[in-house]
Amino acid sequence: MDFSRRQLLAAGGGLGAAALLSACGGDGTAPAAGGSPRQGGTLRIGALGRPSAITRDPHGTQGNESDYLVIALVYDTLTAPGDKDNTVGRLASAFTPSKDLKTWRFTVAEGAAFHDGTPVTADDVVWSLRRLRATPSGAARLPGVTAGHITADGKRTVVLVSDYPNAELPLLTRLTTFVLKKDTADRDLPKAPGTGPFTLDWYRDGNARLLRNADWHGGAVHLDAVEVTMFQSPQAMANAMLSGQIDVASNVGAVAARTAKARQDIRIVRRPDDMAMPIVMRTSSGPFADPKVREAMKLLVDREAMVAQVLSGYGTVANDVLGTGDPAYAADLPQRTRDLAGARRLLTEAGFDFSRTYRLVTTEDVAGLAESATLFASQAREAGVRIEVVKQESGAFYQQTWLKGDFYTNYWGTNDSVVFFASKTLTTGAGQNEADWSDTAFDAACRKVMATADRTARTAALRDLQRIEHERSGYLLWGMADGIDLAAPKVHGLPKLPGYGRVQLENVWLAP
Amino acid sequence: MTETGTRPAEAAARPVPKPAARRAGALAARVAGVLGKRVLMLVVLLALVFAAIELLPGDAATATAERGEGAAGVAARRRLLGLDRPVWERFWDWITALPAGDLGTSARGERVGDLLAAPLPNTVLLGSTAFVLTVLGALALGTWAAARPKGLVDRTVDLASTAAFALPEFVVAVGLLLVLSLWTGWLPAATVTGADGTPAGWTTLVMPVLALTVPQTGWNTRIVRGALADQAATPHVEAARLDGLSTRQVLLRHALPGAWPAIATGVATSTGMLLGGTVVVETLFNYPGIGTVLAGAVADRDTPVIAAVVACSAALITVVLLLADLVRARTLGARS
Repeated sequence: MDFSRRQLLAAGGGLGAAALLSACGGDGTAPAAGGSPRQGGTLRIGALGRPSAITRDPHGTQGNESDYLVIALVYDTLTAPGDKDNTVGRLASAFTPSKDLKTWRFTVAEGAAFHDGTPVTADDVVWSLRRLRATPSGAARLPGVTAGHITADGKRTVVLVSDYPNAELPLLTRLTTFVLKKDTADRDLPKAPGTGPFTLDWYRDGNARLLRNADWHGGAVHLDAVEVTMFQSPQAMANAMLSGQIDVASNVGAVAARTAKARQDIRIVRRPDDMAMPIVMRTSSGPFADPKVREAMKLLVDREAMVAQVLSGYGTVANDVLGTGDPAYAADLPQRTRDLAGARRLLTEAGFDFSRTYRLVTTEDVAGLAESATLFASQAREAGVRIEVVKQESGAFYQQTWLKGDFYTNYWGTNDSVVFFASKTLTTGAGQNEADWSDTAFDAACRKVMATADRTARTAALRDLQRIEHERSGYLLWGMADGIDLAAPKVHGLPKLPGYGRVQLENVWLAP
Repeated sequence: MTETGTRPAEAAARPVPKPAARRAGALAARVAGVLGKRVLMLVVLLALVFAAIELLPGDAATATAERGEGAAGVAARRRLLGLDRPVWERFWDWITALPAGDLGTSARGERVGDLLAAPLPNTVLLGSTAFVLTVLGALALGTWAAARPKGLVDRTVDLASTAAFALPEFVVAVGLLLVLSLWTGWLPAATVTGADGTPAGWTTLVMPVLALTVPQTGWNTRIVRGALADQAATPHVEAARLDGLSTRQVLLRHALPGAWPAIATGVATSTGMLLGGTVVVETLFNYPGIGTVLAGAVADRDTPVIAAVVACSAALITVVLLLADLVRARTLGARS
């Protein structure tokens, strides 16, 4: 089972880095249950990765979760995913927009310094952001902000000017804006000092040891050291966990959780809203262009069965709106449930051709994706709709099917922002409009959200946007997979947020 | 070519070769001839590897591109990686650089030599340990069984070796994991490496080595046993037995020497099986060797990496096969 790390990271990917946004979650505060944090100890953590995909560049494409973990411990991003607010400050202690939401000012945190003692200046940040912007996916990682519009204002303020109003700009700086020293040469990257909670002791072939940065600007770091071991397969990582070689198995998946369930000495950490695996229906042409047909598909899926079987129960039922982890997610929209008779009626009204067999294209990029297609096909048969599941190799899928096909499965790892999806995959002409959807009312709603600073007004606008998306978009989102880590009972303060929030280990501590 | 391996002292004596020198010269010529053939075979094999990867769906450009990279981006990547050129041209460039030790550049821009620098010694350690254990195990079991044909030991070894050979490495590995690690907690389930990139502690080697050794020992035990049975039927072994020599002496002094060629060939072919098995075993035990690099490279359609791994493995196998040939030549030569 190749749990494609490449795609996982890139998942946001199209958007580029944005994808990375996968709700990283620095569960920045809570000491968590189990008493007060204790200083000291070495955390041994396993993460997935392949030797052929190793990279050390903080602004590169980190195909390996293990590499991303090491980078995220050594370097700080400007902002980070949070719990109540989905964006919180990290290297930037504050970020404020201009009235028109085009100009954003980020203040470098007081006391922030590189591991060699040099204080962080706005120039370092500007250089790093421009370097990020100059990468192949730079335009997607900092959308709407060109290199010339990243400037320093004094020693501690960085100014980003967006080409259009963007209330969500700080959200885009969460997962990729790692800050290095100005003018760090490429050959020095492996040893380049960061500003993060841990300093690099050694790194070798995907494995690493990190030591506490006692002077971290973000507060006290509890662990003395973190040892990262790269695992090629979730099974090997689960075995290492079961035999006590590691204390945490990061993002190890539902199968491992099932195995570990019987063990009293292993805790299963579920991080809800980790991954979306929607079925995409092309709205502009083909058999799903009629909204009634799309509605019928959304009615004939048995969401509970999908979650129970595809995700082994480690997930939640969803309601065809992407961004389920958003604090402003509209949980009050009526939940779609299975209605075979209703689906058939809609299909008949739409003149749907029941004699045809429809091809649903899928990949095996993440665990459960192909299974979701197969189970959906068998559920559809109960309503008389014949679906043939076609598995495509990952590269071929992104070349031939993604953004082009009539009917395919896909997955996303950034799920804590409704606007993220709205602006990247749902508005007319958006770069990754997977269903080629164009809806005037939705576009207007999205523009309104992006340009509204007032919180209450924004939440109201967001609800409106979600109502339209729920009603007629090209996405059938049946459920959300939990992110699953395994942890030894002595490990406390692990991040609970979905996606790459799991890499923030500064609050982790070990009970004696 | 024929002079490779001839020592200067012997070369000087060439005008009137002494018998020993002539023998050495003939041997060197034979070795060179065999090596030449093997190198040619390797080149053909590598050409096949290039062609086979060409036939797989997708290519390195799509496999390593970022999702969302447009068709233009992928095309640019393809040009960058040289994938827009015909496969034979890429093969020619790669293979002509090979003698200089240049293994090419991976699809992710790493030098392939650097990619393999740490994993290759790890795999050699794993494979050679398994190889030595296989040879020792097979010899011990095979001769033990041959000591009393049709006896209890013989029948048991016969059954057990057949069963062991029939088991794929994967099954053996999972069985070992369950018993030796997850149930009893005796051995670590996965390999954790230290700062120097080698496995931290010899205990992590035990299960990967066993998983490779068990099936191959099964196979080679049968070969040893079979070769000894053949030898037992020869007149000189028969004579030795009738002379009243002990079973031990008959087996070790008279039967075994004659059985060497068959045994050497058998264990030599195991080298390939052992190296092939590392792909599965390394992945299961998270062992940092070339098997795991290969698995990732195939997923990436990363032809230079795949070809380099094949070249390294093939070179290893060639050396072992050559040694086996030498053992045969020596034994048969001594007899003639």
